[in-house]
Amino acid sequence: MIRYLATRLLRAALTIALVVTFAFIVLRLSGDPATIILGPEAPPEAIEAFRHNWGLDRPVLVQYFDYFRAILRGDLGISMRDGRSAIELVGERIPATLALTIPALLLQLAIGIPAGVYAALHQGKGFDRAVMVTAVFGFAIPSFVLALALVLVFSVNLGWLPSGGRDSWMHAILPIITLGLGGAAALARFTRSAMLEVLGRPFIRTASAKGLPWAAVVRGHALPNAAIPTVTLVGFLVGSLIAGAVVVESVFSWPGVGRLLVVAVSNRDLAVVQCLLLLVAASMVTSNLIVDFLYGVLDPRLRHGARAGA
Amino acid sequence: MTDMLASSVPAEPARRRLDLPWYVGVSIFWVGVMLVVAIFSNWLAPHSFTALDLKYRLVAPFQSFAHPLGTDELGRDVLSRLIISIRVSLLIAFGATLISAVLGTTLGFLAAHFRGVVEQIVLVLADFQAAMPFLILALSVLAFFGNSLPLLVGLMGLYGWERYARIARGLAIAASAQGYATAVTQLGAKPARVYLRHILPNIASTLIVSMTLVFPEVILLESGLSFLGLGVQPPMTSLGNMVGYGREYITRAPWIMLTPSLVIVMTTLAISLLGDWLRDKLDPTIR
Amino acid sequence: MTAPLLSLDNVTRTYMSRKGLFGTPVGVQAVAGVSLEVRAGETLGIVGESGSGKSTMGRMALGLEAPDTGRVALGGALMPALGTADWRALRKRAQMVFQDPLGALDRRVPVARQIAEPLEIHGIGSPTEREDRVRQALELTGLSEDHGRRFPHELSGGQRQRVVIARALITDPELLVCDEPVSALDVSIQAQVVNLLIDLQAERGLGMIFISHDLRVVRQISQRVAVMYLGHIVEEGTAEEVLRDPQHPYTQALVSAAPTPGAQRRQRVILTGEPPNPAARPTGCAFHPRCPVAQDRCRWETPALSQIGPGRSAACHLITDTPSAGMAAE
Repeated sequence: MIRYLATRLLRAALTIALVVTFAFIVLRLSGDPATIILGPEAPPEAIEAFRHNWGLDRPVLVQYFDYFRAILRGDLGISMRDGRSAIELVGERIPATLALTIPALLLQLAIGIPAGVYAALHQGKGFDRAVMVTAVFGFAIPSFVLALALVLVFSVNLGWLPSGGRDSWMHAILPIITLGLGGAAALARFTRSAMLEVLGRPFIRTASAKGLPWAAVVRGHALPNAAIPTVTLVGFLVGSLIAGAVVVESVFSWPGVGRLLVVAVSNRDLAVVQCLLLLVAASMVTSNLIVDFLYGVLDPRLRHGARAGA
Repeated sequence: MTDMLASSVPAEPARRRLDLPWYVGVSIFWVGVMLVVAIFSNWLAPHSFTALDLKYRLVAPFQSFAHPLGTDELGRDVLSRLIISIRVSLLIAFGATLISAVLGTTLGFLAAHFRGVVEQIVLVLADFQAAMPFLILALSVLAFFGNSLPLLVGLMGLYGWERYARIARGLAIAASAQGYATAVTQLGAKPARVYLRHILPNIASTLIVSMTLVFPEVILLESGLSFLGLGVQPPMTSLGNMVGYGREYITRAPWIMLTPSLVIVMTTLAISLLGDWLRDKLDPTIR
Repeated sequence: MTAPLLSLDNVTRTYMSRKGLFGTPVGVQAVAGVSLEVRAGETLGIVGESGSGKSTMGRMALGLEAPDTGRVALGGALMPALGTADWRALRKRAQMVFQDPLGALDRRVPVARQIAEPLEIHGIGSPTEREDRVRQALELTGLSEDHGRRFPHELSGGQRQRVVIARALITDPELLVCDEPVSALDVSIQAQVVNLLIDLQAERGLGMIFISHDLRVVRQISQRVAVMYLGHIVEEGTAEEVLRDPQHPYTQALVSAAPTPGAQRRQRVILTGEPPNPAARPTGCAFHPRCPVAQDRCRWETPALSQIGPGRSAACHLITDTPSAGMAAE
């Protein structure tokens, strides 16, 4: 178990290092940062000074390590739009994004897991079919279409809910629903198949043959076993929530990090983009670590250190 | 036992009737229509997709013979724009899927062939790609490089490569471990022959199934980027782009965004249904 | 004596394996210092249990695997490095017949095209000449042209093995290594394939290595036999002699477990103890934990393979010290 977690931690660190490398390579490949940041009409002396200040006149490898060091110090550069530090800019947007993503994640879990379990237990019945059809549609409908459809119905036609901004809790309802529904469909589909897989295993038949009531079999045997593969999906859900937040915050003019990213990308505000990239990487890595940890706790084979196929 | 199983396989297609579920039939029909539209878009579009007609701005659908699906805020014909958008979006998705399949399969073969360090690098990159939301990576690249159509296609071409790489690597290793690949190598064949003439045809069906599963995701990705105004740039148009600019008129002219939205949903739905069905038919082992 | 077609000189092969990501690599010696020779027109049978290193031997003899130490030479020339152009060119001179013919054939290609493939690879002949040679090869191996148009899964196990043999022989190789070529086949078909191999070998003067755990088949096809145990040759000699009058206790156990017609009826020697595991090789004589006549020194001292008669050698302290003591089992 310890070794398992150590391996995972090592991998997490590797992923972060790769993201930093990725940012560095993309930054270097994108041309001369001096001309990009100062503009093509900047006087040569200014460009020269910039290059010197940023160490651009030194060997690439030295730059690479300097870059690493700067990031480890938490020095992520200054937004070229308003001159504030990128970290500060990003930091003040985080609460707004969490206010959407956390309720959306809870919504996904609250809808997806019961729906998947219920569908699996009543395989082939009407509800199961409805879940499957919804799941397929949930995949095919992009979040911006869903968002606009909700706006069209609830804001434009019915006038019940605001279509954008962040003035009251009412403003959060449509974004949360948009973010939650897509993931809920995927989660329901996955839970259903995990559950079906477990229900088909011999020990379930044994347990019910022993005379255990079916409800007890489901609660005591099927659910804990189906939980193991389902947990791995949480990492995927967090990833799609982040990507979803970018789109949904843009549609609903919600002042979170996703919208900041879109604005920063259109303005080519590189320091902010890079800071956001690292933030996303850090949250992905953290959520994957949590998943790995939960996985270790849930899976008795891992708990006792003997891991098949490690 | 394996002999019996193996010999029962070839006889089956002859006996099996080609019974498509209705939804697969509909999906094939829809994809077919989309392909025809994409290929013949220049002939099918009644107007130039950039032609302004300021007298007829924001005309609703079914009001005018000249503009059956209405017009947008500049009086451009929605149907013509839709037809060109379908072409652009499908072309990008098609090019990107092809690039990613070729890239992924090549990397997977390299990993299987050289093992060791090469394999580790490929696997680490695949893990990295799978761990990061691709939309974010794509946005950062666009921020750094600016935007152009070739860059966009190339960027989308990085989407999903890790899946082909994993499949190609796994199957190539399996082929080398026990079977025909070793046998052909032993006959003196060069690696290129072994991989291209023997292993590739053997895993093609699996790769094609993966492509149909990745394709709709690429469409969604491109339309998402274009919707945010960071993908296909005006005056060029794409499905996501139409939705993005149409949303300004959601109250006054919802049809501008509704028609391309519908096309996106229908197309991704059709292709993913088709992909699921193909997977169940051809290769139940993946995903 | 003519120069041998194939010679392996004191070859060893060790596989590295590690347990888990952080485990220390452990060497598993599959072949430990083996020397062998095969002459043109001669069949050498290699006998042993699984894990004895006999398949690794076969692969090294073909050059499919390079030995860690020692030399492999074909026709007097050293085996070129793996994967080089020279190595690839050499493939047409040394071919292999596999245990699992279905696995060795590409399921998506008609078998005639697969038989022709070595000709394509080595650029031998024009397309029409290739077709002729494929036709001959099919005929030679007892297959019809109709068989050639089929896919591997449309043929029976024996027919598939014939296809593999036809493909191996189409470049007129000098050496053929057969690794358990009939053990996956029905007994009735085994005899046909073995007879085919015997005929082809006699007709073409091939040098052949026949790897098997089946003593009856080995006896039928081989002129000479080498018995392997945990990477060592423990006994070698003519097939006739070794199988009629085995000297090494291990060979005796093998022979007594599978009585061959004409062999002296001996007391059945039952092997006890663990089956051989290359990862945990006993000290001294590798066979001592299972040997019915093991002595103290067998535990510590590894016996060398030494000559015990004309063309006959064995590796056992009991035989080499006192030539009659080898009969102690009787």
